[in-house]
Amino acid sequence: MRRSFILSRLTDLVVVLFGVSVITFLMIRLVPGDAVAIMLGANAEVTPERMDELRARIGLDQPIVVQYLHWIGGVLTGDLGQSLWTRRPVIDEIAVHIWPTIQLAGLSLVIGAALAVPLGVLMARLRGRGWEIGLQIGSVAGLTVPSFWLGIMMILALTTLAPGVQMLGYVPFSQDPLGNLARLILPAIALALPILANLARLVRSAMLDALQQDYIRTARAKGVSERAILYKHALRNALIPFVTSVGIMTGYLLSGAIVVEQVFAIPGLGRLLLGAIAERNYPLLQATILLVTVVFVAVNFVVDLVYAWIDPRVKT
Amino acid sequence: MKRLISTAALVAAMSVGAGAAGAQVLELAVSDSPAGLDPHIVTAFASFQVVNGTVYEALTEVGPDLRIRPSLAESWEVSDDGTTYTFTLREGVTFHDGSAMTAEDVVASIERVKSEAIGSPLASRVAAVAGASAVDERTVEMTLSEPSAPFLTQLASIAIVPSAFQADAESLQQQPVGTGPFAFEEWQPNNFILLGANEDYWRDGMPKLDGVRFNIVPESATRQVGIASGQYQMLPNIDAATALQLQGRPGVVLQDTLELSYTLIGMNTSQPPFDDPLVRQAVNYALDREAIVQAALFGSGVPAGPLSPALEAWARDVSEFPCYQHSPERARELLAEAGVETPVKLTMLVLPRQDIRDIAQVAQAQLEAAGFEVELNIPELGTFVQDWRNSNFEIFASANAGSVDPDDFFYRAFRTGGSTNVFKYSDPRVDELLETGRTERDEAARKAAYDELQGILACEGPVAHVAYGQLYTATREGLSGFEIIANRSLSTLAETSTAQ
Repeated sequence: MRRSFILSRLTDLVVVLFGVSVITFLMIRLVPGDAVAIMLGANAEVTPERMDELRARIGLDQPIVVQYLHWIGGVLTGDLGQSLWTRRPVIDEIAVHIWPTIQLAGLSLVIGAALAVPLGVLMARLRGRGWEIGLQIGSVAGLTVPSFWLGIMMILALTTLAPGVQMLGYVPFSQDPLGNLARLILPAIALALPILANLARLVRSAMLDALQQDYIRTARAKGVSERAILYKHALRNALIPFVTSVGIMTGYLLSGAIVVEQVFAIPGLGRLLLGAIAERNYPLLQATILLVTVVFVAVNFVVDLVYAWIDPRVKT
Repeated sequence: MKRLISTAALVAAMSVGAGAAGAQVLELAVSDSPAGLDPHIVTAFASFQVVNGTVYEALTEVGPDLRIRPSLAESWEVSDDGTTYTFTLREGVTFHDGSAMTAEDVVASIERVKSEAIGSPLASRVAAVAGASAVDERTVEMTLSEPSAPFLTQLASIAIVPSAFQADAESLQQQPVGTGPFAFEEWQPNNFILLGANEDYWRDGMPKLDGVRFNIVPESATRQVGIASGQYQMLPNIDAATALQLQGRPGVVLQDTLELSYTLIGMNTSQPPFDDPLVRQAVNYALDREAIVQAALFGSGVPAGPLSPALEAWARDVSEFPCYQHSPERARELLAEAGVETPVKLTMLVLPRQDIRDIAQVAQAQLEAAGFEVELNIPELGTFVQDWRNSNFEIFASANAGSVDPDDFFYRAFRTGGSTNVFKYSDPRVDELLETGRTERDEAARKAAYDELQGILACEGPVAHVAYGQLYTATREGLSGFEIIANRSLSTLAETSTAQ
């Protein structure tokens, strides 16, 4: 039973990846704009013949099907290709940019998820009281305030309060652990806030839902303490949708990171992706999107497994 | 309260850490990440401002007064017919890898720019060089196929690299090696480029800084907050909109100069209605350049003639051009004279840059008051460049880079079949004047040719020059020795020091 469940999920995964590879490949080529023209800029003194030469040099003169097969063939054998102009292997570019994003996304997820559970439980407990309305308003604000605005406001506030502290840019953890955290904490909070708001609301409604169930009434009738009912019986069940949401949040984190990295000048995957789009750096763009897709799909795969483990009813 | 105190302690601890690491390293914030640092291959501005005059030097250089002065060449002699240049190189110049710079390296650098395999966009600048040879260690002789008045100016843009890289199109992209005051140290993509002081620099007592870090900060608001709070000490080459926001901030100082580059409205002369010079004149009369400068450039700029007023020796005053008198009535008369149907319907291709968008909108209103009907088309950059290059437009609004020699402004843009003549403009008299300007060595005769040329181009040319903007650099207080240069080079960083 469990084996066939895993297998079917794995087949889905392969189909999704193939689809994404085709779509990204075509989409970026359908966008108007010529990689060679962009590279040379508006004022370069270059003839059309010379541009054709350059195009041939980077393989963009081939028919699109040939280009795709060439690329996907490379990907399957572990060669992601080279960045169009720097000729550096794409894998190296990604390796440099992936750590800041992993750190940022991880930190945000931890902040968001860790605070969401107590906050959600609190909101459920305070239901209908004045305090809860305040928290509700706060959570709506958390969901709707754009992270770029929040980011700039945070920078503005903190640079005014503590002018000497370097809080923009990025230093690797291995070089300067304290500096690394000092620079990441603000962007992580900016990125985490919508997650926190979202998850807290989810925990709240799942808790309220769980508290309506028959088994809670039974527990109460048995004389179980209110505290044990809340944390042992209700919360455990309320966490099932929470786990699924955390999986979906990964997608949000990756897209949110693009904006937050831009504002805080963090050299992560989002910056790499935006740069690749702007210069029509096809190999770099394709590989980055494929990687992001793999991460997203893999996380959801793991979530599916965890979900099946928490809730045995899923394994059918 | 207790928590507040511990936060303060943490903050203090962090600032100490930052201070020790950043002693005398100037922190700059720039918007774009370079595509590579090979000075012969990537000529885009994002690369230029990082390496020009800092890592790399050329035989000649452009000073803050925009005049050409000796750099790696100590002196030169020109033969009577103007086709042979003999350069004497400076003594005791070494590359950052420790090797001495010799005549051999200079010859190799010229050959490298000319070579097909390297594919340098600068090749046309040395196209006139028929041969370059090393006479001895410190003497280079170059023969030109014809005399070239702008030659010494053009050499200022040809960086001298070690001869070992002559056939290598890749190494310098990641790891530049030059003779300049700063040597390349580290590049963390999308994060920063760090240059360290060159201890063996040939100019005594320079550089004064221990290093320069170009932080790549894509968000304009972040850069502004960064300099206002002292995270960054310099925002080089910023536009008026950003500068005005920083004006009056405590601790921030602005330097400014008039730009060499200009904003323009270009016309496609290969098709109606702009194949008729009368219609092109009408556009000039229709534009109120003062109003554009006020509305789109926040008043910081001047109406543009064909040459930047920063080139005092060459530029004619715009009051000398009759079509610069704003007159919608005259524009309508000219359109009637040309026999075109009014309103003349046009689609204007617009460079997706904020100042150009603003200019296009003001120009749209002004043109509509003078018998045109203009629709704006603002695509993303890649599409703009493609349409521009393929002459796929009726009329466009954009910006053009300038240079310190008039030949660079005009020759490739306005000569019949010129490499950036996207207007498909062709005028025998203009071609003739361009040749004179390029080959004539007598300054007065050259000036006369360019004077006449400016007259023709101002009113009937394929371009309605709009404005030269003001270029700014913002620095923190207490920075000395830095001087802004209109060509956007940061070469004066060599003389910059921080008061600490």
